[in-house]
Amino acid sequence: MHIAVMIKQVPDSTEVKINPETGTLIRAGVPSILNPYDHFALEAALELKKKHGFKLSVISMGPPQAKSVVQLALALGADEGVLLSDMAFAGSDTWATSYALAKGIKKIGKVDIIFCGMQAIDGDTAQTGPGVAQQLGIPQITFCEHVDVDGRRVLARKQIDGGHELLEARPPVLLTMIMGKDYAPKHPSFLAVNGSLKKPFHVWSAADIGAEAQYLGLKGSPTQVDKIYPPPQREKAAMFSGSGQEGVEKILSVLRGENFLGE
Amino acid sequence: MASMDAISRNLMLDSLKEYAKRRIPYDLIRELDEKNEFPAEILKEMYQHDVLGLHLLMVPAEYGGVSGGTFDIYRVCELLARIDLGIATGVFATFLGTDPLNVGGTEEQKEKWLKRIASENLLVAYGATEADAGSDLVNLRTRAEHVVKNGKIVGYNLTGNKQWISNGGVADLYTILAMAPGGPCWFLVERDMEGFSPNKHEDKHGIRLSNTAGLSLDNVYVPAENLIGMEEGKGLLQAQAVFGYTRVMVAAFGLGAGEEAIEQAIRYSQQRIQGGGPLSDKQGYTHKLIVPNYVRMEGARAYIEYTSQRLDSGEHGLQTEGAIAKYGASEWGNKAADDAIQALGGYGYTKDFPVEKIKRDIKITCIYEGTSEVLEMTIYRGRWQEHLKSRGRYYLDMADRLDRAHAEEPRAGCHAAALALRALAAVLEECRVQKLTRHQHVTFKLGKLICAAETAAIFSEAAAAKKYSETVRFDREGWQAMSRVFAREAALNTALEGLALVLGAVDTAGNLADAVNIEAIQTEQKGMIADMDLVAAKLKQTFKAK
Repeated sequence: MHIAVMIKQVPDSTEVKINPETGTLIRAGVPSILNPYDHFALEAALELKKKHGFKLSVISMGPPQAKSVVQLALALGADEGVLLSDMAFAGSDTWATSYALAKGIKKIGKVDIIFCGMQAIDGDTAQTGPGVAQQLGIPQITFCEHVDVDGRRVLARKQIDGGHELLEARPPVLLTMIMGKDYAPKHPSFLAVNGSLKKPFHVWSAADIGAEAQYLGLKGSPTQVDKIYPPPQREKAAMFSGSGQEGVEKILSVLRGENFLGE
Repeated sequence: MASMDAISRNLMLDSLKEYAKRRIPYDLIRELDEKNEFPAEILKEMYQHDVLGLHLLMVPAEYGGVSGGTFDIYRVCELLARIDLGIATGVFATFLGTDPLNVGGTEEQKEKWLKRIASENLLVAYGATEADAGSDLVNLRTRAEHVVKNGKIVGYNLTGNKQWISNGGVADLYTILAMAPGGPCWFLVERDMEGFSPNKHEDKHGIRLSNTAGLSLDNVYVPAENLIGMEEGKGLLQAQAVFGYTRVMVAAFGLGAGEEAIEQAIRYSQQRIQGGGPLSDKQGYTHKLIVPNYVRMEGARAYIEYTSQRLDSGEHGLQTEGAIAKYGASEWGNKAADDAIQALGGYGYTKDFPVEKIKRDIKITCIYEGTSEVLEMTIYRGRWQEHLKSRGRYYLDMADRLDRAHAEEPRAGCHAAALALRALAAVLEECRVQKLTRHQHVTFKLGKLICAAETAAIFSEAAAAKKYSETVRFDREGWQAMSRVFAREAALNTALEGLALVLGAVDTAGNLADAVNIEAIQTEQKGMIADMDLVAAKLKQTFKAK
């Protein structure tokens, strides 16, 4: 089988701040990372590759510097890397991005299983994976916490409210992964990073994947971001645990300490 | 070796960062620091090929390594120092111990030993220092006597004592400097050779996670093929050939530890509310304890990168540049760590906060790989020759270069840096005319002034460049404000300290006051407080409270 993993480079959200005046992200000095959900998707795919000897391709869309996450995936064990990079892609929403990624995956070849993270931590839409499945006209299983393959059967454990659902699909299928306990994202050794430079890596433009300009970028995007703003900060809350009586005493002691109850 | 591409380098740094986060938390470091314990397991694990393979950075690809260049090694050293300077020293000792082989080894020796270091993950130690031979290796006492069989030298018997050897008690392989009949040379000594024994682990002020021990060599027989380079008398040259490069590594230690301390203080200052607001909003705090230190560290970084790139492009030696890089980074880093304790007040003075440990650790960077005083002398010697050779034009030409940069980009502090360089040229010339370099104090002080003025020049040029290094974490506005603050301080200090230095030695300083152009330098101070305000704001934005 041939697996493709869709990955995205995102700003490390723990370091990002929003400029309240302009409503834009302050990106200076903020490191870029592989979207953590995609890291889990990659691990799930690497495990299948190790177990069954599948071929593994990774694909990303982004500016030239997004090569970094593709190379990371190659260093971790992927066989081939693709970066869709072209000014024509700039400003694409999830729909236009799904269109481009689907075109890119078609160019990679006959792919049986497509993995991606449930969502990216910068946009939090969780739409791109399902969008690609729609574009390709294949089934999808979202919120997977574990995936295995038995012959031609793809077995997925999907997280649902209060439990799991065990689902089975025939390839081709698209799976979106949550950050569950079954996979631990790894980081490559220095030798593996060095070795990744020798693996096939392609940069494809819109023309390379046969994507039509009208479906790409701002023009091809039904959604436009109007404004970004931070949520209003909440006051800090103190949490107490214990019995009702203990709780009351703790609250009283705090109120006394702050002189709310007078002398 | 040229450095690798930025993506590969940064992936390696990320892996190291992740490893440290997972395996070397501060609580563990604190415990080991208290126990004065070398974390052998961690070092060994970091060397494992499928974990990190950290030591492979120093080994060329043809021997199983990853061929790291100076820039790569500077970045890894900086990060290691941010994690723990003791662990960093343990890794550095392997790098340093491998150097004589890389520089002076024959092809057969490299093939055998570099391959073994790479594949067997050997911890290496560099054995040069002795009780009477520290900065001055001429008094080397360890002897290497010929062992002759059938009229042919088949080996050497090594006898002597080494001291303060990093990894001394734990290494698998040692490169030992000893005096052979034909002069000083390096020998490869394995831990299990008869007559070789490490002494006790020293109880040190800082870098307590680094193993430091003396070595006893009692008639240790070493086969002739273990003489590095297979030729006697090359030892000191082989040691000196890498000073530019090894000092960049220690410079990176000063930079990493110093910036880490100040960054912790910046984060702390946003949470500490005193007098109605966070300390980070108070100039009395930021403009004394934070901004000047951070600015100096960024100056040191610019100079380290300048030297690294020159070494990576194939230049050799660069002893003076290596000395400037290390002297600046270690002295300013030490001051930064000291001020970080002050910035955290009572908390900073306790072991609950890492700045206390950083302060103890970073002091070593002013001592090993050339003390600050030896470096002041090295810097002075190197540049004094340039001053004489160029008939006083060396710094004037550099100032002209800065003027041209200023014409292109007036916001990067190039004008102030040019003023610093011209003042420096005037001071050097006055010292020449009045023969003041007969005073050792004058020469060492000149070394200090040279370091600051030259760093100002390199920092301003970097801040004026169209494209910034991958390491710059600030926008153009912020980084240029930093380079302006640095250059102004350097200009003022060069003029005032240079003038005071000359006046302290002679009755009259001629027209030196005019020559250093003190008036222009004073005028150039305009805008300093606004720039410091801007730098304080950028630092707060970049290093947010956690």
